[in-house]
Amino acid sequence: MSMQTSSPVLPLESSADLENKFLVKPILNKIAGSAKSAAFTLGGFTILLGVWYVISKLTAGALPGPFATLSVLWEMFRDPFYDYGPNDKGIALQLFSSLGKVFIGFGLGSLVAIPIGILMGANTFCNKLFYPIVQILKPVSPLAWFPIGLTIFQSAGTATIFIIFITSLWSTLINTAFGVGTIPADHKNVAKAFGFSTWKYITKILIPYSLPHIITGLRLSISVAWLVIVAGEMLSGGQGIGFFVWDSWNALSLEKVISAILIIGMVGLLLDKLFSLLEKKFSYNN
Amino acid sequence: MYLDINNLEISFSTPKGRFTAVKNVNLQIEKGEIVSIIGHSGCGKSTIMNAVGGMLAPSKGTVTVNGVPVKGPGPDRGIVFQNYSLLPWLTVYQNIFEAVDAALKNKTKEEKKEITEKYIQMVGLATHREKLPKQISGGMKQRVAIARAFAINPDMLLLDEPFGALDALTKGSMHIELLKLWNLENRSKTIMMVTHDIEEAIFLSDKIVVMSDGPAATIREIEEVHLPRPRNKKDIVGMPEYKIIRERLLSLLMDKVSIDEKEFYKGPKVEVA
Repeated sequence: MSMQTSSPVLPLESSADLENKFLVKPILNKIAGSAKSAAFTLGGFTILLGVWYVISKLTAGALPGPFATLSVLWEMFRDPFYDYGPNDKGIALQLFSSLGKVFIGFGLGSLVAIPIGILMGANTFCNKLFYPIVQILKPVSPLAWFPIGLTIFQSAGTATIFIIFITSLWSTLINTAFGVGTIPADHKNVAKAFGFSTWKYITKILIPYSLPHIITGLRLSISVAWLVIVAGEMLSGGQGIGFFVWDSWNALSLEKVISAILIIGMVGLLLDKLFSLLEKKFSYNN
Repeated sequence: MYLDINNLEISFSTPKGRFTAVKNVNLQIEKGEIVSIIGHSGCGKSTIMNAVGGMLAPSKGTVTVNGVPVKGPGPDRGIVFQNYSLLPWLTVYQNIFEAVDAALKNKTKEEKKEITEKYIQMVGLATHREKLPKQISGGMKQRVAIARAFAINPDMLLLDEPFGALDALTKGSMHIELLKLWNLENRSKTIMMVTHDIEEAIFLSDKIVVMSDGPAATIREIEEVHLPRPRNKKDIVGMPEYKIIRERLLSLLMDKVSIDEKEFYKGPKVEVA
């Protein structure tokens, strides 16, 4: 019995074909990937809208439904910059007011927290000195500082900035101290062996090594600051997205309240994305 | 006498009490010599290195370099660390430049740039100058670390297991590169190196310091290597002196590693049909 085998001819691809394959495939994969995640997001929101719709029907309209709310949101977006006096301003003005307070408080807080964090990380004495204070004050709701802010500054707006300042301290402080405290002995030895000056040590070793940790701290701080600003402005009144929520509730417009919630969520997401971009940019071992 | 280690003892306090790493260490090295320290893990090789480098203070005894007692690290001693110790956020160029900038305080910026340039060329990394350490191979990282140590123009180079993490081929070419740099400087630099590798020690050194086992390790024997320079790896392996030194080192280092046949099998006797 004889067997004949014919080996199948493998088509040889030209190098141009191969190149095409390698260039096109990742892009296609990427598009498919983002289409997938977009579909998931869309699916999730469809469920949310469905539940929302059902609840609004069940409460016989006491909770406004998606369509009523979205049309109010649309109205708000159509004229975001109007200014009819101190108690009636467009949504963009309210938002900018809140963001302004957050960035001032957060900026000042970071300016205080980063140097103290560096001291705590670099020096055991400072660490032992400050750590108990941080441990006790960190779990306190920043709103509890509002009366103190009012007493010191005699102004609700400045007191709001003050509580954001307090809010922004802790995560940044702890993460900075951790980053600086974990600088590997290898890096310190390089500085020692080549006689780095203190300034060179700080700029070429301490900061570059701890920067990713510091940014993680800042990212946590700004998320909490954005949480706290809404509550703070509900307390302080005046201007801002938190005041807008409270004012809309007093005017019995739940549509506006829910619209504000959506906007607050979006802005919070954007802030977080911004800092996660910074985190990626300054991490050196990816 | 360039380096004089006199009755050196180094001990650390640990939670379990005092731990003596090395003691009674006496070693004299002439200027321009290459000396290897060899021994088992934990025998205090790196401890002696660190004492010479000024990273560790002696508990007893003295370390004198060029007639001056060692008080701390200094630019007269260039250190090549285990694991290269490059700063991961700096490029190849910056890693060398920052060390030069810190160590050579009375040079102008232009001179420092020139020096950095010269040593990057010397180790053949000119085309990789803008790369970060994570983008280059282990051998290249080691070359950067060596260039960095040479660039500050130290009288003495301290190499702590410099080639331990490299494959055999890369290791071989790094040996040549090291000797090349040493020759370029008229063999005036004293080199002290910690290693596990007997062949490496013989190929490179004028003296090989064999340590006893720790704790409280000390120098067991010092072998002088009189093989003619320049050495060629292929040629020296055949020389009688090479074989004698190799045998001697092996017997010094391997006596504890041999298997005791009597303890090999302790079960009942097995009948073999």
